Amino acid sequence: MSTLTAPVQPGTGAAIRGPRPWPGMLWVTWRQQRGLLISVVAIFVTGVAGMVVEGLRIHHDYAVLTACHPAAAAACQQLSREFTTTDWHEGNGVRVALLAAPVLLAMFAGPPVLAREIETGTFRYIWTQGIGRVRWTVAKLTILGSLLTIAALVLSQLFGWFFAPFMTTQQLTPLSIAVFDARGVVYAAWTLTAFCLGAFTGTLVRRVIPAMALSLIGYGALALATMFSLRHHYPVSTFWPMQLFECGWLLILSGLLIAATVRLVRRHAC
Amino acid sequence: MTVLTLPVEPGRATAQPAVPWRRMAWVTWRQHRAMLTGVTALLAAVSVFLLIEGLKIRSDYTAMINCRTACQPADNEFGSTDWTLANTLGIFMLLAPALLGAFTGPALLGREIEAGTFRYAWTQGIGRVRWTVAKLILLGVALAILTGAFSQLFAWFFDPFLGNSVGFTDLTATVFTTRGIAFAAWTVLSFAIGAFFGMLIRRLIPAMVATLIAYLGVYLLAWLVLREDYPVAITTSGPVASGAVVATSVNSPTALTPNAPWILKTWVTGSTHWTRYIPVSRFWPMQFIEAGWLLVLAVALGAATVWLVRRRAA
Repeated sequence: MSTLTAPVQPGTGAAIRGPRPWPGMLWVTWRQQRGLLISVVAIFVTGVAGMVVEGLRIHHDYAVLTACHPAAAAACQQLSREFTTTDWHEGNGVRVALLAAPVLLAMFAGPPVLAREIETGTFRYIWTQGIGRVRWTVAKLTILGSLLTIAALVLSQLFGWFFAPFMTTQQLTPLSIAVFDARGVVYAAWTLTAFCLGAFTGTLVRRVIPAMALSLIGYGALALATMFSLRHHYPVSTFWPMQLFECGWLLILSGLLIAATVRLVRRHAC
Repeated sequence: MTVLTLPVEPGRATAQPAVPWRRMAWVTWRQHRAMLTGVTALLAAVSVFLLIEGLKIRSDYTAMINCRTACQPADNEFGSTDWTLANTLGIFMLLAPALLGAFTGPALLGREIEAGTFRYAWTQGIGRVRWTVAKLILLGVALAILTGAFSQLFAWFFDPFLGNSVGFTDLTATVFTTRGIAFAAWTVLSFAIGAFFGMLIRRLIPAMVATLIAYLGVYLLAWLVLREDYPVAITTSGPVASGAVVATSVNSPTALTPNAPWILKTWVTGSTHWTRYIPVSRFWPMQFIEAGWLLVLAVALGAATVWLVRRRAA
């Protein structure tokens, strides 16, 4: 545990130095959340490498498939069958894994950040450091949230490229359920919302396992409601306007959750 | 926390009688109230939903089968709207044992170790081994009963969709593990994996992650490798009974055949065509085989957990 208070310099009087600058929180976040950060980076690297390698192979298979003429010949039918079974199972598996990631983050990334501190009582140490509890909370949530959002954004762009061949072979549109959610900017917004929801339930419930369960159920309910019902009520109906609309209300929701988390932290009796 | 040691009777020099096992039922309930009520409440809520939607789905199914003219709305209602809901719930059923095990298993022992409260719990009159064994058995049985009942309801809910697409039968991996006794067995295994990793890793969140990964590994192993080799397959050179057509939707070109066999392998030697397949009638033998090895594995993990509890210096 690091002490962030600065020692009083002799001769400068009784004035206490102001709180340490924000970059100090980078080191504290790294120290406290090493496991989470290393896991996120490892999963990100695996995801990128996997999608690049397999994506090149799938694109190659698709190019061979489309170049096969005439389309009704036995050899071309065989290629088509292989593409829609082997390659599709792999593409679908990657899609399922990608969509499962925010769910797991809602469980494992959000709640432990604050709920563990409160549950084990170590908040009494960390919140009485020079930086103060509000800045500590804001800095941590910002650092972790930004990292997760940027990683999610990169993964969803790569997935857009990876999944492109299946849009034609499986007769999907950009607005299809579970395709819309994995491409564009919406995926990064969902990841951020999952993390903020986890942090909020952690601070609200103040115990790790109930917080994990609650944020899992809460995120699941919100995602399902959006996929199956809320999206029909948008005032727009084409791909990018819908993406921006959904991203917008998710960002507003994330902001509200962070504000609520900070407010709970401020009011928590130490 | 209750003290289970008995006071020494004056004049009695012999060893104290062992604490009765039924006391552990009360201790387990006290310590895991939230977990047990939470799991029960969650399964109950989903069950109510399954009941309501299941009745609607069955009436949609009847309407689709009996429709004679202008059948497109009925087909769409069942084939896409209802099927999307059932498919989504089916995915939850695949995740449920993993999540139930991850939330219940590591909390059993890993939390005690991490918080240091094992020093109190293990120095009670009942002793650490009996305390662990009693908890593992009581919670394992409770989970098995809850999930067993729930999976019967889900099987009832999902039945209209069998045969909906080619090869989608009771033996399809994603359906097989959500009905019969397989669902309860997978949950008990997941719980045992969680308890074991909780004791091995001794920290709650790494243990939960390890539980999820290990469960995924065992599940994929069973799906891709083991299930085909269960000793129930039939090898024949004759025709394979393809399963009767149960019902045909008037507008749908595909007949619904929920009894189509699972073809494992076909090969040709000389001029005979051999087929190795599993008929749907072998469903229950397969369920028993799967539940059997899952429970053996769960008991082995439980034994390993108890061994770790014995070894640990308190």
